[in-house]
Amino acid sequence: MYSFMYKNQYKAKIVSNEKLTAKLYRMSLDAGKITEKVVPGQFIHIRINDTLKPFFRRPFSIYRAKNNIEILYEVVGDGTRMLSSKKNGEVVDVIGPLGKGFSLPSKKIKQVIMIGGGVGVAPFLALSDELKKIKCEQVLLYGGRTKEHIFNMKEYKANGCKVSITTDDGSVGIKGRVSKLYSKINTDPERTFIYTCGPKPMMASVKEFAQKHGIDGQVSCEEVMACGVGACKGCSIDTSKGYKTVCFDGPVFNIKDIKF
Amino acid sequence: MDLSVKIGKAKFSNPVTVASGTFEYIKDYCSISDLKKLGALTPKTVTLYAQQGNPSPRIVEIPSGMINAIGIENEGIDAFISGRLVEFKKLGVPLIISVSGKTETEFKMLAEKLNKPKGLSAIELNLSCPNLKKKSLVAQDPKATYSIVKAVKRISKLPVIAKLTPNVGDITVIAKAAQEAGADGISMINTFSGLVIDTKTRKSAIGNFTGGVSGPAIRPMAVNMVYNVAQKVSIPIIGMGGIMTADDALQFIIAGATMVAVGTANFIEPKAPLEVLRGIKEYMKKNKLNNLKQLRGSLVR
Repeated sequence: MYSFMYKNQYKAKIVSNEKLTAKLYRMSLDAGKITEKVVPGQFIHIRINDTLKPFFRRPFSIYRAKNNIEILYEVVGDGTRMLSSKKNGEVVDVIGPLGKGFSLPSKKIKQVIMIGGGVGVAPFLALSDELKKIKCEQVLLYGGRTKEHIFNMKEYKANGCKVSITTDDGSVGIKGRVSKLYSKINTDPERTFIYTCGPKPMMASVKEFAQKHGIDGQVSCEEVMACGVGACKGCSIDTSKGYKTVCFDGPVFNIKDIKF
Repeated sequence: MDLSVKIGKAKFSNPVTVASGTFEYIKDYCSISDLKKLGALTPKTVTLYAQQGNPSPRIVEIPSGMINAIGIENEGIDAFISGRLVEFKKLGVPLIISVSGKTETEFKMLAEKLNKPKGLSAIELNLSCPNLKKKSLVAQDPKATYSIVKAVKRISKLPVIAKLTPNVGDITVIAKAAQEAGADGISMINTFSGLVIDTKTRKSAIGNFTGGVSGPAIRPMAVNMVYNVAQKVSIPIIGMGGIMTADDALQFIIAGATMVAVGTANFIEPKAPLEVLRGIKEYMKKNKLNNLKQLRGSLVR
């Protein structure tokens, strides 16, 4: 039988596709036992339609991997618009989990800070679930542009995560950028670890803050991808260790290595 | 059913391969039993020295295809031979090694180095990559094409395949020059030069400014070029350009291609080469053909 070129390519049934806000959706996919293999920070590569539109697959950070593989996505273009119109029971073609995920903090770390901007919060619920297992104190600093980017974060709170929110227009939480919340961070580099994902200027500000205090951390990067498996080198970014592919060498990198 | 094909002295059990730069063998991901079904594998183009490639963005989606300017990011021939090539060879699938030089001397050095590893099937000369900043491409000039193919033929123990660019007035002139120089086969086509403009910034959407267009958008032009070249040369052609399905691949074979390479489709649907192979078999069965030769160049006019 001709099956699949990749071991981790499969058809996944959409269990739910929920509209969280005017912009954000949360999709749950039945990936069977593959769900157990997910490392927080990894992504799945979805072929949205079996036609040529959209042409590329679309990569999505895995938001959660409890019973199903879940993604959190923002409608920004044709691909995500088509994805948002999918109904429960429809099937999409998935490759993944792919890429290198987050590594969990060492035992001496007492406080983990997750800093997310907009849909950049997407890889963090899976991470929060893992941090809860190792009983690490966790804080989520989340910045959205407007209330359209803010949704109910009860699952983080259920994991014991302290959530603070900013919006650019002040429609929810504190008005301003997420950097307004840095004062909440314990700046002892021996005890604190940072994870961040979001727009490049935001991650650059997190890097600057982390370096100023000597805090270690990881970033989850995003680039337009074609293959998603390290073949095309289309998503390569310049790092302190040379060009690296976001899809295969990343998407998670050490914060020190990335040039924003 | 005989699907076997030959390019020079190289034999392949079936006509399906992948286009260079579109496939990477990743042990953790690939199903080796499926990979082994392909006629040949063609790893990404290797250069004499390591290259870091072009600045991002390197790829942009277009209707029915993509534009890319990767810049042949690779580790250089020595690291390739001692690293990735070792892994590729373990698969036991015939290998076509794609190389590109900045000068004739570099092409000769690459050919020399590829004489050493055992078990390679052919060397493909990427004479047509449009992304490196040069005034013209080797494969835009019949004399330069002739000269490099001839030089490599003198050195290489492997069958030599010349990969051509479509960015020329008459591609048959270049193909004839390659044949006269002793090429054992022709790969065609590489990508079309293209430009995508971001109207918000009025800048190119690609870091390198221009890029190469590939995918189903270019397939009819590719089929036409293969047909025209097949009328003018007798050496085998590896046809490529937007093959997504078996029907696409069959068009190339009917136009005169001996082999077909699946390229951009690998990014979208990694099992595309396997489905192409399956579909060719089904078509032959349905049409009561038992040898690929009966199909090759059988275009009715």
